[in-house]
Amino acid sequence: MNKANADIVVFVCNWDGLSCIEAAAQSRTYPASVKVIRVSCLSRVHSGLILKAFELGAGGVMLLGCESGSCYFGKDDEFSTKEYEKTRGVLGLLGLGGERLCLVHLPRGDGARFVKQVKKFMAEIERV
Amino acid sequence: MFDDNQEVKDTRIHLCLDCGKCTVVCPVARYDPQFNPRLIVQRNVGQNGTNLQDETIWSCLNCYMCLERCNYRVEFPEFIRILRTDAFGKGVQMQCSHGGALQTLTHLMAGENLHQKRLGWLPPDIELSKQSDTIFFVGCAPYFDILFSEMEVNTLEGVEGALRLLNRAHIPFALLSNERCCGRDLLLQGDKKGFMVVAQANMDEFTRLGVKKIITSCPECYYSLKVDYPRMLGRMVAEVVYWTEIMTPLLQAGELCLGRLRKKVTYQDPCTLGRGLRIFDTPRQMLCAVDGLEFVEMEQCREKALCCGASSWVHCGATHRKIQDERLAQAEATGAKMMVTSCPKCQIHLKCAQQSRNDKTPKIDIQDLASLVARSLD
Repeated sequence: MNKANADIVVFVCNWDGLSCIEAAAQSRTYPASVKVIRVSCLSRVHSGLILKAFELGAGGVMLLGCESGSCYFGKDDEFSTKEYEKTRGVLGLLGLGGERLCLVHLPRGDGARFVKQVKKFMAEIERV
Repeated sequence: MFDDNQEVKDTRIHLCLDCGKCTVVCPVARYDPQFNPRLIVQRNVGQNGTNLQDETIWSCLNCYMCLERCNYRVEFPEFIRILRTDAFGKGVQMQCSHGGALQTLTHLMAGENLHQKRLGWLPPDIELSKQSDTIFFVGCAPYFDILFSEMEVNTLEGVEGALRLLNRAHIPFALLSNERCCGRDLLLQGDKKGFMVVAQANMDEFTRLGVKKIITSCPECYYSLKVDYPRMLGRMVAEVVYWTEIMTPLLQAGELCLGRLRKKVTYQDPCTLGRGLRIFDTPRQMLCAVDGLEFVEMEQCREKALCCGASSWVHCGATHRKIQDERLAQAEATGAKMMVTSCPKCQIHLKCAQQSRNDKTPKIDIQDLASLVARSLD
């Protein structure tokens, strides 16, 4: 599996997560290989969807959502943390490397930090 | 097309007398009137392929109860597999349980340049014989324990237990560092192409390493390697044996002694192992060889055992929950404190039922056979 130049899939929640992407798209550019998939809440993204992204050729998956305590739906960010941990374990067993999955929580509209995080993530994947 | 198909002919579906005995014993039909094996045969025989509107084909548990009862040994589960393969090939989407994670996982395991790191769980006290031409086929237990961690599933304990018992019996074995899923679930849900890829990858690995004998503890892997691989790939390189079949002769000859455990247990016959491959006695003999262990049978046992209520990670719903409730109630009615099963999937499905029904389902402890028997050695 050649993952060197593969796409990065970012599952992004419709709330604070998406506002970061929008801010980044307006003022700063993020790499073209970053593909954004908008979901209602990050808790919708279970291990099946994350693994599917890898099956379809993604080099890495980022889960981008609201900071703890700011989740639009209350405490639903707990689900995404659990799924993140489980899927990291599975990726580790598969030998793809748990590092290919990351979970990022950002405050509303912080495009600059999103760009920084995604670039850092891509650099990490290249090292795997 | 269907009537001339040799696979269909081999199921003896044309001998179906329309007597409905299969439907009477089918656990799914009991709770879901829409599901009717007799009518599925009627709807799908003598046509130009599968009736694609027939969604009920996805609810079959492949529990072999119908086959057990049928006087003409009409292989309905195999007929269902053929219908599913045809439907899947025509793009019909089934409802995957757990978000399709298990299906995707198997597809990922088919990757050519895959280098799994799947042996991290292996305890240091387990002795491996790296040069041995006998291997122990672990199955997907390392993955199950992660994916179903919230249900406190411990299928790896069963594998560890089986390995400890093999060590105690001085039977040498090696483990494969890059073993793939056996693929049985993909085959059962109609993804024959997906199955062929993982099966071929496993077969190539067996050939490369000169494997002569494969020991398994997962009944699904056992069935797949023993029956599906030779049938689908046209050849098998190694002898496939189930771990209890190796152990019980040693117990009877006095070459292996188990320890003591004070417990009252009952045994869940996995459909694939029991009705599928007729292994009813040796798991029971393993339990009875443990000193102090009181063994009781459930109301439905051996050839009549009730399925754990789910199969091949598709179409799990309210009907299947009712079957699981019934099975757990049968286990509790025996007065046993523990339900022992030799199938990791029985454990997963029944624990899933216990977890999702809160306090409405009996909370009987569910453990793997090998893990329990190995505990007596401590």
